[in-house]
Amino acid sequence: MSTSVLLSPATSSQGNPPADDVRLTFPRIVRSEWIKFRTLRSTVWTLAITLLLMVGIVTMFSAIFASQEGAGNDGTDSTVVFTIAANLAQLAVVVLGVLVITGEYSTGMIRSTLAAVPRRLPALWAKGVVLAVSIFLVSTVAVGISLGVMQLFLGAKRLAPDPHDAETVRILVGVPLYLTAIALLAFAIGALMRHSAGALAAVLGLLLVVENLFLIPWKPLQHISPFLPGTAGSKILMPKAQIDAMSQGAVGTVLGPWQGYAVLLAWVVVLLTAAAVLLRRRNA
Amino acid sequence: MIEAHGLTKRYGKTTAVDDVSFTVHPGKVTGFLGPNGAGKSTTMRMIVGLDHPTHGTVTVNGRRYDQHRAPLREVGALLDAKAVHTGRSAYNHLRAMGATHGIGTARVREVIEMTGLESVARKRVGGFSLGMGQRLGIASALLGDPHTLILDEPVNGLDPEGVVWVRNLVRYLASQGRTIFLSSHLMSEMALTADHIIVLGRGRVLADAPVADIVERSAGTTVRVCSPQAARLVELLAGKGVSITSTTPQWLEVTGTTAQAIGEVAAAAQLVLHELTPVTGSLEDAYMALTQESVEYHSTTTGLHPDHLGADLGLAGTEGAIR
Repeated sequence: MSTSVLLSPATSSQGNPPADDVRLTFPRIVRSEWIKFRTLRSTVWTLAITLLLMVGIVTMFSAIFASQEGAGNDGTDSTVVFTIAANLAQLAVVVLGVLVITGEYSTGMIRSTLAAVPRRLPALWAKGVVLAVSIFLVSTVAVGISLGVMQLFLGAKRLAPDPHDAETVRILVGVPLYLTAIALLAFAIGALMRHSAGALAAVLGLLLVVENLFLIPWKPLQHISPFLPGTAGSKILMPKAQIDAMSQGAVGTVLGPWQGYAVLLAWVVVLLTAAAVLLRRRNA
Repeated sequence: MIEAHGLTKRYGKTTAVDDVSFTVHPGKVTGFLGPNGAGKSTTMRMIVGLDHPTHGTVTVNGRRYDQHRAPLREVGALLDAKAVHTGRSAYNHLRAMGATHGIGTARVREVIEMTGLESVARKRVGGFSLGMGQRLGIASALLGDPHTLILDEPVNGLDPEGVVWVRNLVRYLASQGRTIFLSSHLMSEMALTADHIIVLGRGRVLADAPVADIVERSAGTTVRVCSPQAARLVELLAGKGVSITSTTPQWLEVTGTTAQAIGEVAAAAQLVLHELTPVTGSLEDAYMALTQESVEYHSTTTGLHPDHLGADLGLAGTEGAIR
């Protein structure tokens, strides 16, 4: 606690950039957000849970498949396991997406963040980048491990997903893409609501309750239902055969896998834009 | 240099800050005083862009805070000690804050050492005491080695050693030509630390002057007189803006005139004086006089629930002093 230490400016110490280089840049803000992201136990835990959930589900279903005689004749069937795994993993991903931003509001950290980045939007984008990249990488690793596990259990029976099949590849790539988009959706809603419990309830309520209510066979609802974020986005996780089967007698529009994913991305863009506008306007 | 022009902030119908203009000059410690709810914190938050002014502008070194290339190098602010994620360690918090500006871990260790946080730097902030949180807030403010330092109640929760340390630190930083803007409720502390005072009341500037001027202007100087012929002296001194109070027969407290004048009056009338002492008012007295009308949350016994009256009786003395 001596004032003499002050004599050395921020930059005199070795390892620091020269004095004129102390300034805000977007890559540095991303680096700051990355430090924040990985120095919280909750983020580390949630990512670990995402990974374990996916690999766990895949392992469980593979073991069941392996024990069933004559289950499925082509590799496509076994990709349904990924759909189930992604649907469960999205719960953890939603929690992470929401908490990354609402955790700052509930603790007051946001005031430190916005004092360091007074233009505000770069901080929001940097957070989004760190979240999206982390989720994408972790879920890609999860898919990789899961593929190995399936090969182990089902390879001998020739039931493991075929990496040469275009549709299988689309689903395997679709898992990280879907989870990343859902994380950003949760992040945007968290940024809009600024309240952990409220935002979690809103996102989970939308994905798990509201979207299911829209499946009620009543025409006006069925016209809207295909365009809801979860319903549309999860098309990328479904084999074409499943989409075709679901479209039998469908009233509303039937979206293809990539069309559905584009609709989910549109939701993300709209909500993030709204969050950005409000972040600029509101008092922190 | 901080310059506010016609700064106004309304929350709905409440006007927190009402057309406030002031300049905080470099090389000095400027104190910011005012009752609770006077708008001090809101004003400070507007300087660093956390709150948007309804009207008016505030600039730091000629630019709005968010227009600077290196905001943390321009302004270091401690606005509330709890602006930290409770789940992160002090070291990681400072590292993340510094990373936005390319400030490395060496500087982070420096500010940790300066604020005496070495022993707890790796612990999660959630478990910090008020004083530790305050030190971390000061460490964050110093991180960018800023030209301007804004501290809202920095000594809140600090031990006596910490209070002295903050005082010496801000005086030292001001002597380096930096701009220091400091709010505090501890009037005695402010009297020791600040060179210049801005007093805010109900969102308006009540006073903006050097400490000595404020004390003189608002509290005035009282002269304590002891004389066996006090009654005679009262007759001679009475009139023209002079007010005299007397607690015991021989003692007088005279305001509105000088010790010199009283001495001359007494000599001319051949009155005996046992004591003639000018008593300078304290900053606290000056502050009370200035803000008397603008205290938003008066402590008062009226309107209290009967249940609270018992507790309130014990506070009667304190309460009178507050008013």
